[in-house]
Amino acid sequence: MPDLLLTELRKIQKKDGYISEQAIKKLNKKTGIPLSNIYGTATFYAMLHTTPQGKYIIEICNSPSCFLNNSLNIIKYIENKLKIKSGQTSKDKKFSLHIGSCIGCCDKAPAMLLNKKQYTNLTKEKIDFILKKLK
Amino acid sequence: MQIKKQTKGKALAKAKKLGQKATINLIKEKVLLGRGGAGFPTGTKWEMVYNEPEKEKYLICNADEGEPGTFKDKFILEKNPELVIEGIKIAMFAIGAKKAFIYLRGEYEYLENRLKKLIKKANIEIVVGAGAYICGDETAILESIEGKRGQARLKPPFPTVKGLYGKPTAINNVETLANVPLAIYYKDWNPNLRLYSLSGNVTKPGIYELPLGTKLCDLIKLGKPKNKIKAIYFGCFGGCMPHCEKTKLTPDDICGKDCIHGAGTIIAVDEKHSIVDVATNIAKFYEFESCGKCTPCREGTMRILALLENISLKNADMKDLNTLQELAEVIKETSFCGLGQTSTNHLLTALKYFRKEFEERIKEQKDRRRIR
Repeated sequence: MPDLLLTELRKIQKKDGYISEQAIKKLNKKTGIPLSNIYGTATFYAMLHTTPQGKYIIEICNSPSCFLNNSLNIIKYIENKLKIKSGQTSKDKKFSLHIGSCIGCCDKAPAMLLNKKQYTNLTKEKIDFILKKLK
Repeated sequence: MQIKKQTKGKALAKAKKLGQKATINLIKEKVLLGRGGAGFPTGTKWEMVYNEPEKEKYLICNADEGEPGTFKDKFILEKNPELVIEGIKIAMFAIGAKKAFIYLRGEYEYLENRLKKLIKKANIEIVVGAGAYICGDETAILESIEGKRGQARLKPPFPTVKGLYGKPTAINNVETLANVPLAIYYKDWNPNLRLYSLSGNVTKPGIYELPLGTKLCDLIKLGKPKNKIKAIYFGCFGGCMPHCEKTKLTPDDICGKDCIHGAGTIIAVDEKHSIVDVATNIAKFYEFESCGKCTPCREGTMRILALLENISLKNADMKDLNTLQELAEVIKETSFCGLGQTSTNHLLTALKYFRKEFEERIKEQKDRRRIR
């Protein structure tokens, strides 16, 4: 059975923060999986990144349950506070922001993942509190 | 709650005593239906894999719970993961699989370590997804585990014949597998108890275990909504309908309203929210999650979103509603996989039951333009 490519790519991202061209070439040499296939897989999934990301990756949910619980205002608040839009990374390389699909916290909406950790029942005050603690 | 009961390995022991065929027959007799949304009889699926002459077989536990508003699998994996692992072991034994995979969605990565501890020496591998709604589809999940882009395969051949690495594969949902040990061990196991994920404009959202046939309004009452509930969405793919006293939570009753009972997802929308805005939000979801394999879904979801944004933000005509309807029907009929085919259910049902809201929004804008 061949190596599980998805698992390999996750390992790379965990180590380097993102999946670089160099890392893809290295993986190609190691596994023999064609470059195009690795790149195809790496660019397909929302949680795999082929560009450098900030130290903290914020994935904020805007699916219906969160949308019905004021997620748009929370998203706007974060965008203004960090001065970045979805898909961008702040100049000081501290934060990356992604507006995404449901993260399964619909009973505690609105919600987000910060470096894969769940933060729920978000309010502007809570966002202030969470972001302040990060260095 | 039935789902919180434990079997502590006794169900697996009983299955081994019974043997493969008798275990499959027991699951068939107990009428365990798949809980991922399609409701396919689990015993029948296992039997199909069991009957394949191929030696190598696989079992996949589908923990890629991506449907917006659904969090029942997360609930089970948090509260009673032991049951799921035992269910996987029983399924592996019944179909004759030496290896199993748990496809855990990327958003639930925090559950990985606890599951790993429970697996111990069993030949079960966890593959963590990376954020793709399409991977909940049973053939896309195969592609994803094989390390490819998670795009659906053409059926037939069905996974039970040619699945993972071309070998016969059974793919079962988390809630299904959690019910396997319960069905085998407990004589009074109730196949009609379902987990409903309630969210939206309610003050008490959460998981409610209720029997099929419960009145929808009784579930909404449990959620204690602050304002009057106007519409119910059965996830994004299940469509919407007006909230009424009579509807019962059964696949038949809800299908009669053009919606899909699916995996028990209930999103309540109150009077303060516009269906046009909810439709635009869901359209954005599908535009983002369309995998790009087939044209109707890839291009269609994009056009649907553009038309809806036009209605909700800029200027649209009554004619646009007909275009929207026609396009939605074409996407439904011509898309390659389930994602595309169900991607416009929400819109078709919204246009059927809440067309007035769309018309009013268009009129509002026209009036505003005239004043200017």
